[in-house]
Amino acid sequence: MPAFPPVQYRLEYPYTRTTGPIVGAFLTALRDGKLLGIRCRGRVLCPPLEYDPETGETLAPDFVEVGPGGTIVSWTWIAEPSRKHPFQQPFAFALIRPDGADSAIAHAVKASDPAALRAGGRVRTQYREERRGAITDLYFTPEAEAQDRYVPPGKGAVEMTEHLISLDYSEPLAPHRERFARGLLEGRFIGQRSPASGKVYLPSKGYDPIERVRMSERDDVVVSDRGTVVAYTVITPVQYYGQKETEPYIRASILLDGADQPLGQQDIRSIPVAGFRAGMRLRAVWKAAAERSVADVDNRWGGTGSVIERWEPTGEPDLPFEKIMEHNW
Amino acid sequence: MAERAAVVGIGQTKYARRRADVSLEGLVREAALRALEDAALGWQDVDAIVIGKAPDALEGVMMPELSLCDALGAVGKPIHRVHTAGSVGASTAISAATLVESGRYRTVLTLGYEKQSEGNATWALGGGRSGSQGAGGSFAPWIRNYIQRSGAPEHIGWKVAVKDRLNACKNPYAHLHMPDITIDKVKESPLLWDPLHFLESCPSSDGAAAMVLTNAEEARRAPRPPAWVIAHAKRTEFSQFPGRDTVKPAAGVDCAKALYQKAGIRDPRRQIDVAELYVPFSWYEPMWLEGHLICDEGQGWKMTDAGETEMTGDFPVNPSGGVLSSNPIGASGMIRCLEAASQVRGTAGEHQIDGAKVALGHAYGGAAQYFAMWIVASDPEPKYR
Amino acid sequence: MSTSPRPSPGDDIAIVAVAQTPARRRYADSEPSMLMDLTNQLLAETGLERSAVDFTIAGSCDYLSGMPFAFVSNVDGFGAWPPVYESHVEMDGAWALFEAWVRLAVGDIDVALVAGSGKSSPGNPREIFPLQTDPYTAAPLGLDPVSVAGLQARALLDAGLATERDFAEVVSRSRRDALANPNAQVKKDVAVDALLAEPYYASPLRKHDLPPISDGAAAVLIARGARARELTEKPVWIRGIDHRIDSHHLGLRDLTDSPSARLAAQGVDLHAGPIDVAELCVRYSPEEIVLRRALGLAPGTCVNPSGGPLCGHPVMATGLVRVIEVAQRIREGRARRGVAHAASGPALQQNLLCVLEGEA
Repeated sequence: MPAFPPVQYRLEYPYTRTTGPIVGAFLTALRDGKLLGIRCRGRVLCPPLEYDPETGETLAPDFVEVGPGGTIVSWTWIAEPSRKHPFQQPFAFALIRPDGADSAIAHAVKASDPAALRAGGRVRTQYREERRGAITDLYFTPEAEAQDRYVPPGKGAVEMTEHLISLDYSEPLAPHRERFARGLLEGRFIGQRSPASGKVYLPSKGYDPIERVRMSERDDVVVSDRGTVVAYTVITPVQYYGQKETEPYIRASILLDGADQPLGQQDIRSIPVAGFRAGMRLRAVWKAAAERSVADVDNRWGGTGSVIERWEPTGEPDLPFEKIMEHNW
Repeated sequence: MAERAAVVGIGQTKYARRRADVSLEGLVREAALRALEDAALGWQDVDAIVIGKAPDALEGVMMPELSLCDALGAVGKPIHRVHTAGSVGASTAISAATLVESGRYRTVLTLGYEKQSEGNATWALGGGRSGSQGAGGSFAPWIRNYIQRSGAPEHIGWKVAVKDRLNACKNPYAHLHMPDITIDKVKESPLLWDPLHFLESCPSSDGAAAMVLTNAEEARRAPRPPAWVIAHAKRTEFSQFPGRDTVKPAAGVDCAKALYQKAGIRDPRRQIDVAELYVPFSWYEPMWLEGHLICDEGQGWKMTDAGETEMTGDFPVNPSGGVLSSNPIGASGMIRCLEAASQVRGTAGEHQIDGAKVALGHAYGGAAQYFAMWIVASDPEPKYR
Repeated sequence: MSTSPRPSPGDDIAIVAVAQTPARRRYADSEPSMLMDLTNQLLAETGLERSAVDFTIAGSCDYLSGMPFAFVSNVDGFGAWPPVYESHVEMDGAWALFEAWVRLAVGDIDVALVAGSGKSSPGNPREIFPLQTDPYTAAPLGLDPVSVAGLQARALLDAGLATERDFAEVVSRSRRDALANPNAQVKKDVAVDALLAEPYYASPLRKHDLPPISDGAAAVLIARGARARELTEKPVWIRGIDHRIDSHHLGLRDLTDSPSARLAAQGVDLHAGPIDVAELCVRYSPEEIVLRRALGLAPGTCVNPSGGPLCGHPVMATGLVRVIEVAQRIREGRARRGVAHAASGPALQQNLLCVLEGEA
């Protein structure tokens, strides 16, 4: 049987950061083609800080323009930039002391030749055509390569800056999760029975955490696809970036016959809310084999992929509430 | 114990949906500076710093002690960061207390914060995926089961929501100020996760809360009365396992027992004057009253119904307005501990419970599996009723 | 300025058992599974029941695995039924050890389980770690630790404090020493000149000056006073733990030095006795040069006989592994007193030292 592809997931959000007055002034100046420092007990700090780094005292917003020239304090030539770097062809990160400042700023230097870079070397700020009031609005180049460009000032103060953080992750599906996913594709729930306690875990994490015992393929057991609702709620989805749900639906935990812990996060849209109750006996109606997908099955979250067409009442009498109180999940 | 710890300074930011006026550094400094001022101390007097925060993905800043250390006067000092999900604020306060109790550190600044407006709490709480239930979606089934188990009438949750929001009107720092809130308004607000209505759920807030803790010798020299840390306890259980009671988790019961035993409290209902309980969804007030052995099983909703948990009642719960009124997740547990301290110091202003001498600060987190609690008192050797 | 931690009036605290997974490029096992194995190993070695462990604390980082609340699953590894007293730091396990050591010093409990774990294999550390930097002025540039290490390396060269050959010698020695370490991931005998012939990656650093990407976990049991002696015949006493931090602002720092490491060294009274072995968190070869100077280590000091993080870097466990490597040497009689170092943040921003000593 072909192995499952690795689980890929992306953690992504467009963060919006309020800047406060000091960082805000700094970023506003960047948008307008200027570099600002802040006065601090006789020194000028760039980038500006909200406080004296030595005493912790809050600083007054006493700004001074610094640069556009600066001196390299240290540098490193990045031969293979990452996707998150400011440039996708080789460039340098450097600590640069802007003219008029007493501290250095870490930033990117675009240079056609790394030979131009050395401690003491001269660089100059360059501003990108599209600026949004962010640290990425500028970069540096060696003085010899610097170009004069008019930077039209923007309107208003920058009080917020955006950072889209997007990280990709990939890991192989664990062996017991593969067997679980394969079971789902075959229309079966595969749990694991602890060799130490005899308790049946579904979905299993590959171990019995109570006895601290790992489980293996020989511990796999098929669990019935009918069971009892032990808990549920009706969800009216909250809208947020990336949210795909819109209509209210039931989310239930079902204790399948033979399992010792309930299967959670079962979405139910085919049974009217009014008739739904804890104690109901339900059975899974599986999708046609060709339509089953386990693309969403990963190593951490529960969920049963997209293999169940719907849950439907079996017609059996409810289990009394007291009996199911052991399994509130 | 090597040393007794005491809270000698308290500082909070105004909590709000978005603190548009500050950066992350500005937010934490606001709370820290207020706590130092309250203690009549400066940055140079702090020996160690402990910060706490919920998942880094809430702000998209990884291991923030690294980028915030300068702002908190931590350069050259020990600083570390605790993370125990929703209970983190209380876990952090407890960690700070143990630094003092060990005798190894004299004065500790502790701070919890969250700037949730930078990201999205529901997204982060759902692990960054679509279809997240939000925290309410996880707790609602258990709340349903509590209601069925106890036979509680449906209005109990609404009563808690009204009580905490009206209490918050007496707390200038609280995020939500809803002087016109009524039972009907709560009942008519949208149903989010049955049975929880929108107005029974916590807000998403920006905010920071800080305390200065020190040892007995230093506490006696503090300008304002100290809040003595009498006892603290934490307990954790798995999020899921066969036979788990999610309505009254064993870890919550064990935590309370351990806490009361350490504090020498035999009758929490009578011997604790005021409680700041972590109630992000209304029904958790009666559930924790039972879950932490303040009353017998099935009696929690009756305490609420009878008005005993009002500020005028004999077991006031959340005079600050609680998590229902302000919820910067990383700070919320610390706010409970801080408010408990404020009560026994007599510094709670308009929401002061008169004569409060013994107070409980509490937080829970994760799948109601992490518990962290402390007892503070106006007297280092409290004389209980 | 902050006071050094004062000696506790309570008993001394010792490491009584240690366990680590080897560092590997990728483990199929989940983090909780790895922690479960280590927990079982520690309990078996000491004969302790789970319930006899009074306090459990772990270090891990959600962003490594890309899942907010990932740390919650790790509780499965330690065991939390019946409910346990436990906590978590979003930091290397070495800081969890710090918390546990402080907690035991309070005097009311005796035994703690400490762990650190991390899988760097699922994500791209080069893209993740910039999130540790200032969110307004650095993170959006994708300023990663390798680039910052390059800046530090350049500063050392320009100050005449090191040569590229010095960097290569650290790598050559470490990888050769790792041949004797079954837990090391990268181990080979490679000559300095061969290393120097490689191209730059983040100049003046070459790829071999960087740590490997690793998955791994580590755990220790510590106990107080007489209890420690009951649990092992070879307690390794923790003589002190101190950690300090430097400014986050690179432009305010002298990257050739580590003031926080120096302060931590004073805090643990590092030179109160001979240092038979030093396990340092050298992720980038120039860091060894910085640390040797900042810690005032004598030129002949045995540094990273395990190979150090250059040979295996299970992020969030790496610092605790250093403690374990020192403790093991002491238990085996190959050292009497040693120091373990853990670091966090760009260019050794934050440093923790743990001084360990065997029985007299």
